[in-house]
Amino acid sequence: MSRIELIDIEYYHGKDTPYEIHALKNINIAIPEGQITGIIGHTGSGKSTLVQLFNGILKSHSGKVMIDSEDIWQKPKQIKRFRYKVGLVMQYPEYQLFEDTVYKDIAYGPKNMGLSEEEIDNRVREAAAFAGLDAELLERSPFDLSGGQKRRAAIAGIIAMRPDVLVLDEPAAGLDPRGRDSIFNNIREYQKTLNTTVIIVSHSMEDMARLCDSLIVMHDGEIAMTGSCDEVFSKADELVKMGLDIPQITKVMQLLSEKGIDVPKGIYTVEQAVEFLKSLRKSKKEALQ
Amino acid sequence: MKNIAFGQYYPARSPLHRLDPRVKIILTILYIVCSFLCKNVWSFALLAISSIMLIILGRVPFKIILGGLRPVLIVLIFTSIINVFWTKGEILLLEWRFIHIYLEGIFSAIFIIVRISSLIIGTGMLLTYTTTPIALTDALEDVLSPLKKVKVPVHDFAMMMTIALRFIPTLVEETDKIMTAQKARGADFSNGNIIDRVKALIPIIIPLFVSAFSRAGDLATAMECRCYQGGEGRTRLHVRHMRFKDFIPLVLIVVFGTGLVLLNIFAPGFTMS
Repeated sequence: MSRIELIDIEYYHGKDTPYEIHALKNINIAIPEGQITGIIGHTGSGKSTLVQLFNGILKSHSGKVMIDSEDIWQKPKQIKRFRYKVGLVMQYPEYQLFEDTVYKDIAYGPKNMGLSEEEIDNRVREAAAFAGLDAELLERSPFDLSGGQKRRAAIAGIIAMRPDVLVLDEPAAGLDPRGRDSIFNNIREYQKTLNTTVIIVSHSMEDMARLCDSLIVMHDGEIAMTGSCDEVFSKADELVKMGLDIPQITKVMQLLSEKGIDVPKGIYTVEQAVEFLKSLRKSKKEALQ
Repeated sequence: MKNIAFGQYYPARSPLHRLDPRVKIILTILYIVCSFLCKNVWSFALLAISSIMLIILGRVPFKIILGGLRPVLIVLIFTSIINVFWTKGEILLLEWRFIHIYLEGIFSAIFIIVRISSLIIGTGMLLTYTTTPIALTDALEDVLSPLKKVKVPVHDFAMMMTIALRFIPTLVEETDKIMTAQKARGADFSNGNIIDRVKALIPIIIPLFVSAFSRAGDLATAMECRCYQGGEGRTRLHVRHMRFKDFIPLVLIVVFGTGLVLLNIFAPGFTMS
């Protein structure tokens, strides 16, 4: 496990050009360890930029990124160490596949780490299993796989480096609902088994509500909210104001409360809603008797 | 990678930005001709002044212009050194062993510097800095359209150029993304010997080619779906009309060229050998 902390981060896209954009403003956060943290925000709110700071793909113009209380830019030559520590799965990661077999592609990261053949073999098979990739696909060309399988192969390529922190940028973008659910299940299982820190970037509230332990909400390059799902989704009005959607079930609950039913705040999954409605029905019945 | 400003277009509001790109192409050609008309101190001085005026007219920061001159800096230094040491003249300034420096040599070095830099500033200010690449190819198609008479496929060339220009930012972005993805897997592009570095490029080039080809296929299908069949009978979305204002610069450049010739003939001064 590793602890990520960001202190007073400022980041500009295209600094000192006519196209300059102030992408991240005064970011101060600490990512909880051993949990799934969701980063949500509107398109262009700075989510993807933020996660690229975690492993030193981007360097902030001011402020510090600390991993295990160590400034990652202290020794710029050793930045690779943090790339292995914080595994970043980019958006649409299937574009990174290049080897002639899936096996070799997953092995690319571990090979760069300079591991032994045997260790690489272990890791590739383990990573493929975590990513939900059939062992028989390993010998195929990555370009023959379906979209969902390519995505899994790319995710396995990161998991194979056994990072302390796994960061996934929109891991389910462009997948059908079934593919999305199964990728999220794999991620959850991976997190539970190894008890690592996982960070997921998304703008889908529904997915985040089901998957994450805590949330970071970004708006216009700033941290708008942090907290557990309960805390964040109970501020539904603010989320809507930021142009973010709230889970559909939360919307239904809101409508119910507008109709005068006493609905507790912070219901954001269907399971919770079912529980609540059942108890409501029970108390109604008791009231009738 | 993001900082690659292809064609170096600099967005601003200026008379040069507003000028019809077809006029700008013709002006550029005439300006190049003018720069070769210069023969003596006075005409070169006028040329230098005109370049500075162009910079002011185009409202492009001086810093960016200097950046544009940097690639030719070596050429400038080299040619001026050669000119200083190898030009023979009448007024000897310095003599030391085999080195003879004449005043004429110094002048011709200055002339060369002025000529090359005003060539670059002129084309830059008139075309690349003030015209978007797309407007430029459109204008090029118009300017070259007389060649259609002799069966040169001008439209097709212009379309190819437009598509190529259109996809440069996309490909740059894509390269950037793939590089980031491979860096996240520990790829290293800046260390190691030449062979290591070339090898490190494979994980970028292969995905880039794969996606470029699939993009090209998609684009061809999309164009066919919209019944694209070449330039025959095709009209434009934005049709440009020449306004009175657009003719003024053409008159000005003729006056400028005539001025240069007159200065060459009537104004005394150091003449380029």
